[in-house]
This record gives sequence, structure tokens and C-alpha cells, in this order.
Amino acid sequence: MVRVYVNGVSVDVPQDAPVIEAVEKAGYRVPLLCYLEGLFDEATCRVCVVVVNGRVVPACRFPVSEGAKVLTDSPELTRYRRLNFELLLSTHRLRCWSCSRKSRCRLVELSRDFGVEGIPVCAECPLVGEDCLVAKGLPCLGPLTVAGCSAECTRQGLPCTGCRGFVSDPGVWEDAMRELYGKYGVEREDLEEAMKFFWRSVPERLRRTLSGVEGG
Amino acid sequence: MRPPAAPGRLIYGSKGFRIRVPLSSCTLAAGAEEVYRAALRAVEELGLDAEVYRVGCTGLCFMDPWVELAKEGLPPTIYANVRPDQVPRIVEDYSRGDLRGAAALRFRIEGFEGGPPALEELDFWRLQTRYVSRNCGLVDPESLEDYVETGGYSGLRKALSMSREEVIEAVKASGLRGRGGAGFPTWLKWRVAYEQRSDVKYVICNGDEGDPGAFMNRLLAESDPHRVLEGLIIAGYATGATRGIIFVRAEKPLMADRLERAVEAARRCGLLGKDILGSGFDFDVEVYRSAGAFVCGEETALIAAIEGRSRPRQRPPYPAVKGLWDEPTVVNNVETLAHVATIFQAGIEEFAKYGTERSRGTKMFCVTGAVRRTGVYEVPIGTRIKTLVFDIAGGPPEGRKIKAVQIGGPSGGCIPAELFDLELDYESLQSYGAIMGSGGLVVIDDGSCMVDVARYFTGFTLAESCGKCLPCRVGMKQLSEILERIASGEGSVEDIELAQELGESIAKTSLCALGGTAPNPILSTLRYFRQEYVEHVVNRRCPAKVCSKLVKYVIDPYLCKGCGLCAKACPASAISGSPGRVYQIDESLCAKCGQCLVACPFGAVRKV
Repeated sequence: MVRVYVNGVSVDVPQDAPVIEAVEKAGYRVPLLCYLEGLFDEATCRVCVVVVNGRVVPACRFPVSEGAKVLTDSPELTRYRRLNFELLLSTHRLRCWSCSRKSRCRLVELSRDFGVEGIPVCAECPLVGEDCLVAKGLPCLGPLTVAGCSAECTRQGLPCTGCRGFVSDPGVWEDAMRELYGKYGVEREDLEEAMKFFWRSVPERLRRTLSGVEGG
Repeated sequence: MRPPAAPGRLIYGSKGFRIRVPLSSCTLAAGAEEVYRAALRAVEELGLDAEVYRVGCTGLCFMDPWVELAKEGLPPTIYANVRPDQVPRIVEDYSRGDLRGAAALRFRIEGFEGGPPALEELDFWRLQTRYVSRNCGLVDPESLEDYVETGGYSGLRKALSMSREEVIEAVKASGLRGRGGAGFPTWLKWRVAYEQRSDVKYVICNGDEGDPGAFMNRLLAESDPHRVLEGLIIAGYATGATRGIIFVRAEKPLMADRLERAVEAARRCGLLGKDILGSGFDFDVEVYRSAGAFVCGEETALIAAIEGRSRPRQRPPYPAVKGLWDEPTVVNNVETLAHVATIFQAGIEEFAKYGTERSRGTKMFCVTGAVRRTGVYEVPIGTRIKTLVFDIAGGPPEGRKIKAVQIGGPSGGCIPAELFDLELDYESLQSYGAIMGSGGLVVIDDGSCMVDVARYFTGFTLAESCGKCLPCRVGMKQLSEILERIASGEGSVEDIELAQELGESIAKTSLCALGGTAPNPILSTLRYFRQEYVEHVVNRRCPAKVCSKLVKYVIDPYLCKGCGLCAKACPASAISGSPGRVYQIDESLCAKCGQCLVACPFGAVRKV
């Protein structure tokens, strides 16, 4: 056993255990993403970074040593984690409406933790398959709207009216038009009517992208 | 080379007349093969009793291809930039004692006055300290005998007479640090590996060398392969390893071939195999040809490449504890190992004479780009950048001004000309945002745009990123897109700030040294040349007139004679006019290729 100091709290952990073990034992939390205990410890997502003796290292993989001083939070660390998470999100297609993980998704949880906006309301909406409001032909704006409201409206069976603003990724808009609205025959006019409620009209940026998309 | 250091037979050969022709990758590219054949023919036709002798390269690239003629009674004389058709004349003149057209003498001899200057009298040679590169261009790289004659393998003999701890202590006393880039103390790696309890240990010579603009390892291994091998055997002895591996890129076939021949020759002479030199130490070496990737310069990725999957992994455990096939493994750079051999041959005192307090010895630097004398130069660590770039490499070509130097390849950073008083050592370079790296110096003059330089290197590391960890894989892509935007005049001030923030984050959180250093070019150019970035995004203008989307070609109506050559040269048919009248460029059609600029005999086409 070696003694490690996590944010000043001393804990004893086995030699060469990953830092995350000491952090959890000391009662702190570090966001984890790619790490699956016993299955995957390649430390590739770099979201769990902490500072050990002045060096930025991944908590899931870096082994502890005697007297190591671990810092789990600082403005820099938050920035690094957030940036890395945003980089990951930038490569994700975010077709949450057709994803089977939905609310059990780490990305959604982390985006809430980091305050990173960009995931559509569908990620938080429990309605899938036949229950999906869009599948019923309703002009629900969930696929275009920023999540974070726990999808309170759609849970009640009310189509999303977009009160949280639209997601910024044009790729998401295109996919939504093609795969969702187009497929279930939601009329473009109805959608634009729904958008008027909070967005007053179809936002210009959205319009430019949507005009290039078939269907909807 | 001072006369006493080179024994007479080595210089003049057994026949008393030796014609040296360098045959290594770089000189072969410059046409040394034809020069070699021309020399053979000339000797035969003139009926001379001379020997045409293959050597490695001296690193004086600006002289390639060169020949050196050495006849007893005459000073050994170097002829630069030789064409094959000049060879018979040179050989004939020289054999009669006429040194016309020679570039330099290797050294002066008594009883022969005049002639061209001796190397010792020329700045580019005098200011160098040829320590590990002492044999480069002097001996036949494929001859074990010649290497032994220059003191070769005496270092191994000496090391084998000492205990393993003593060898490690000697390396510690010398103060040798890794020449591959990070400057990790060599003895410490050896000590850690030595202390591991394991029947199987490996020592690996890292000859990957993937930086654009760095070729000192290739030069050293092609010109003096036995020195590298000797260092590797000593490293194997010190750490208690039984197997050595020399990791070379398959795209450097001559380097691999020469190392392989050196290994075979050493094996035949009992310098490898069982019971080396009667010491009871068993050791063998194999040359591993890798498919080659920039990331393989990183030691964990190099080890993984030998295992068959070249991706780095998180350290610790360090390779010295758990490396190749999970056994303790020491990975040393080619130049480090050559230093080890030389230290044991020539003694610690000579090595420790050079360098600074914290970094002892010498280092080979490749100086390329906007200088008069490109080449590989070995100087003591702590030499000022100014000395290397201006005094040794000769400064910028006529009419140019040096703006910065990119040190350490794509992982290094730019040092602006104002800081050329800086001493080249590991710590001071790091504190200014560059790294020693393998020692490539790309000199950048005022004709280059720093945004474009950063874009080039970022593009390189992006392509070479293995894709394992997220910041390097996605972050470098984003960085390169930001630079692309800035270079095409579509960037914003926020883009500059985002690049800075992203670059710092990638450097801090990446898994291996590739990602850890990949943002260096962009961070250092942002640090020293921020104004150029600002010009690109605020005024939409490229001060150096390099970024093609931001430059315009115009024809000066006062200078244009109406000859029409520009219109003929234009591949986009963007230039119109009739003979005798002033021609005009249609900007909407112009592809910004610059052909018209080259074609105009009156200098009427200008970039604005």
C-alpha cells in the first residue's frame, strides 16, 4: 500500500493502482468516458485528466506512487476536459432519435456536466419507435432543439416547441430532415409554423441549410 | 581534421594514392555514382596506381558530390560539386601536383605551400567539433578493418573489462543525455533496465528519424555504422541484455544495408555472438526494417511496431521496466549510441570538455532551408544559433533576410531571428517554445509566411497522428482547419484565440510525445509572429505574399512591353491583350500559380 494525497486528503491504495482508485476512495469524482474497468484502459479519450505531481495525466491509467499529490479540479483541468469532450462531440453524428442508448448515454451525461450544448432533446426523450411524436406525424422540434430540459414536454405528449434554442451543428439539422421528418411525412409548413413560436421564424442559418435538403 | 588524428595509411591508402568518393543516400542522389565510375575509368585510362575508395558522407551537402584526392607528397584535396566529365581532368592535374579548381585541403602538409585554404581555416569546419562524426567521409563504412584502425571497438574492449555498474557509472560521469530529442539521461535508462530481474532484456537502437529536414542519423549510420553498433553492444552489456535490435525505416535501404553488413562483419570477428572478446558476454543484433511512420520515433510506438501494431501507449510503465514483449527494454537513439562508443574509445575527459554544465558533449545539427551552406554540422551543445546559422551555414542567400529558424522538426518550434543569441541546449530551447528534437534546423527567410509554415507542419503531424488518443486525432484536425481558414482569409480573431487554447490543451493532454509536441509550430509562431496572423484575419492580407488566396498578380503597365509571354505561360488563360499593348490579368480566372511571374522577362508581373 502507498499513501497518496488527493486534493489534500490522504488515502492508502495498492502500489501501481490507477489514480482513479485513489480519487474515488478519497470521495472525489472525475469524469470518465472511455474507461471500462478490467476491459479497456488504453486511456484514449483524455477526459479524465488530473494533475499528479504537477503533470497532467489520465486518472484511469496512470499508476500511483508513494506520496503522490493528486489534484482533481482546477480551471485548467476543466478547460482541458471540456475541450477534449467538445472535440469528441464534433466527430459524433448525434442522431439521438434513432439511438438505442438514449438516456443511458455517457455523452449526454457529460454534456450536462460540462455544460456543452449541442445534443438534441431526443437524447433525453423517452419516447421511441411508435411512441415518437414525429412518428405520429406531429411537428415536434426535439431533433433540432438543444437538450437540457429533460424533455419535460414530450414526456407529457406535447411536441417540443424549441424553447431552448436550436442546436448549432448543421449536420444534425440535415439528418433530422432526411431521416425523421421526411420519413414520417411531417410537412415543412407545419415545422415552420412550430418554429415561429419561440424562434419567431425559421432562423436564417437553419433555413440556408434546410433549403438544400430534400423532403421535410 | 587535424593531421595527427588520421593515420597516414588511412588518408593515403596502401597504394599511396587514394581517391575518396562519398557513396551515401544523399551524395548518390547528387550523382556520386557516376563520379565514382568516372574516377575508376580515369585511373585506368591514366594508368595510375591509385585506389578509388568508397567513403560515407561528411555532411557538407552544399559540396555534393565531392571527391577527395590524396597522394603521398601532396596535401589531401577536396573538389566540390564535381561533374563526372570533370573527373579525368581533376585526377590528371592533381597527380601532377596542380591543384586547380580545388575547394579545400583536408590539412596542410610540410613542403607544400599555397593551394586552396585548408578545412581548418574555413569557418564551416573550424567552428565544428567533429566528435561522433569524426569518421564520416574518411573511412569506408563497409570496412571493419578501417574502423578498427581509427580506434574502433577499443571502447567495447574497455567496457567489457569493467563491471556493468562501472559502465553505467562511467556514462553517468560523462553526463551523456539522449540525443533523440528529450535529453533523458542515458545512464538512468540503463540503470533502471539493469536493475530489473529478468532473463530476457532488449536494447533497441532507434533509427527511425522521421522529421522532415533531419538526416543526421542516416548520415551517421551510413558513414560509420560500426560506431553505432559498438555503442549498442556496450548498451547491451551494461543493461545485461542478450538481444539488440536496430530499428531502421525500410525507406532508407542503404542505411539498413550498411548496418546489416556491419552486424555480419562484427559477427564474423567475434564481436557479436557467444562470449564476446572472451568476456563471457553473449549478445546478438538484428536489423529490423520498419514500414516507417513518424510516430515510431516515440519509444513505446517503436516497440509496438516491432510487436506488430505501431501505436504508443501510456507511460508508465516505462519501456526500461516493461517494454518489448513485456521485457525490460532500453531504446536509445543512433547518435546517442555513437556517442557511447566514442566516449569509451576516447575517454570521458574529452567528451566532458564540450558542452554546457547541464548538457555535455556535442550534437549533430542538420541545417537546411534558406542558407548558403546546407549540411550536417556537429557543434558543442550550447553553441549559439547565430554561430550555426550565420558563421557555419553561411547565412541567407543574396538579398534575403532570415526571419526565423524551425528547430526540432514538426514537433519543434520557431525561434525568431531576434533570439539567435540563444544557446542550443535542451533547457533553453524548451523555455522558448522549441525543442532540440533530433536536431533539424530549417531556416526560414522573409519569403516565407509563418502561417503557411505552421500550416505545413500541422498538416504533417495531422497526417502522421496514429489516431489513438482523442486530442491528437481530432484536435490536430481542428487546428489544421483553423489554419486553413486563416490562410485563405476567412479567419477571425476568435480563430486565433481558439487555436491558442486548443493547442495548449492538445499539448497537455495527449497520450504521447507526438501529440504533446505537435502544436509547437503553431504555438511558437503565435508567440513570436502573432502580427502575421492578425494581418491575415483583420486586413485579409499575407505580408509575405505566400498564401495564394490572399495574393493577387498584376501587370505593371509601365514595365509591360506587350510581348505576350505571360499570356502564353498562363495555364488558366487568364491573361488577355494583344502584342505591343499592355496585357491584363483577369482576377476571376487567375489560378495564382505564378507562371506569369516566372515568364515575364521585364519584371512587369508583380505579386500584391
